[in-house]
Amino acid sequence: MSPINLSKWARLKSPWVLHFNSGACNACDIEVVALLTPRYDVERFGILLKGTPRHADILIATGPVTRQAALRLKRIYELMPEPKFVMAVGACASSGAPFKKCYNVLGGIDKVIPVDVYVPGCPPKPEAIIYGVTKLFEKIKGGS
Amino acid sequence: MNPNIFFRILVFPGFLFLFVLILFCDWFERKIMARMQNRMGPSYTGPFGILQPLADYIKLLTKEDIIPHHARQFLFSLTPIISFSIFMLSIFCFPLDGINVFSNYGFEGDLLFVLALVTFAHFFLFLSGWSSSNPYSGIGAVRILMQFIGYDIPLIISAIGPAFLAGSLSLAKIASMQTIPFALLTPWTFILFLVALQAELEEDPFDVPHAETEIVAGYGTEFSGRKLAFIRLAKDTQIVFGAVLTATLFLGGPYGPVFSAPPSLWFTIYFVLKVLFVIALLEFVEAICARLRIDHVVRGNWRMITPAALLSVILTVLSAPYIRLFMGAPI
Repeated sequence: MSPINLSKWARLKSPWVLHFNSGACNACDIEVVALLTPRYDVERFGILLKGTPRHADILIATGPVTRQAALRLKRIYELMPEPKFVMAVGACASSGAPFKKCYNVLGGIDKVIPVDVYVPGCPPKPEAIIYGVTKLFEKIKGGS
Repeated sequence: MNPNIFFRILVFPGFLFLFVLILFCDWFERKIMARMQNRMGPSYTGPFGILQPLADYIKLLTKEDIIPHHARQFLFSLTPIISFSIFMLSIFCFPLDGINVFSNYGFEGDLLFVLALVTFAHFFLFLSGWSSSNPYSGIGAVRILMQFIGYDIPLIISAIGPAFLAGSLSLAKIASMQTIPFALLTPWTFILFLVALQAELEEDPFDVPHAETEIVAGYGTEFSGRKLAFIRLAKDTQIVFGAVLTATLFLGGPYGPVFSAPPSLWFTIYFVLKVLFVIALLEFVEAICARLRIDHVVRGNWRMITPAALLSVILTVLSAPYIRLFMGAPI
């Protein structure tokens, strides 16, 4: 196994996630938390929820980006060490959905930071989020 | 000088063997925690997810290494490695396969040496949080110091019990005296020792130094990449150290009945089994307990656990003649 393959294998087997809510209604957050509970238990795949952006590989962002949260979201993204990936979970995070033209909402997560995977749904089922993670894995495998 | 010594230090039973044991114990802990919480735990990384800790470490080693602008750069880079190496060195002093890594039976008083080394290692963990100049790390670091200053005292006092019964401060001698484990002869000391150890290892109900819901990740908040890998490794080594210390002082260390040659093989098997038993015990307590409040942790130590440790030593000393009669040792 070459060193590049080894590091890619490790990256695929131990993705640690950070969950950030940039103005969601909490529905997506409950679904994200459901991933960690016994029914779905993503620790099977090595996914751990971390408290600090310094430890995380994947930023799971939920909710539309409000003007107040935009700067915080950007700063948290910049705190994460490379290589880092972003998942936008939920319809609001993907596009802003019903809050799109609100005076206090910028739009989806991609208005502030680059997004790798969009998971639609209001809220998406935990299965859909796991499917999104596997899509992200395909992206990691494909790229360098 | 023994030419074998490099093999013993680097491969077996030194660095490589202990490294594999540490990774295995990490997986074992996570699996026990998961099963206690009705989950699966790591399952798909290698057979039964056994390579999960290895994948975590390799991933952390390949990640970007950030040093915050305000951190004390020298200490911030150095402390994770130093605390890991001190924990490793202190495990080297234990009789792992009958004799210790340096190919002898240790010296009289290496119990105190090991306990002093570990206090140093805890101090470096404190420095790692303090040097990162982050409010969460600072609070976590101060909590470590407060907890360790308190709980080191009952830990050392309860470690005196087995040393007194064995009549020696040498780890190998304490371990080899136990034809019947001290855990059965003096259960009062054993239970107190486990409680103090739980606090030393920052496990529930004493995990205030890295309480995730209050102070993000405690002293490790600012660490990323390679430094985080070493901080995690230091934590895992610390847990294995705690289990090795308990196994040596209370469960008879590596010694047990030998059924065939070579004895060092049997001693290694007994040693690993006892370490895993202690880790299972510690993780069981961690899984069933909630976090105590910080003032309860401190008050519980100074009001209850330290006096109880003193009482347990008195009880051990008073009952020593009967226990020694039981052990078949000269009174």
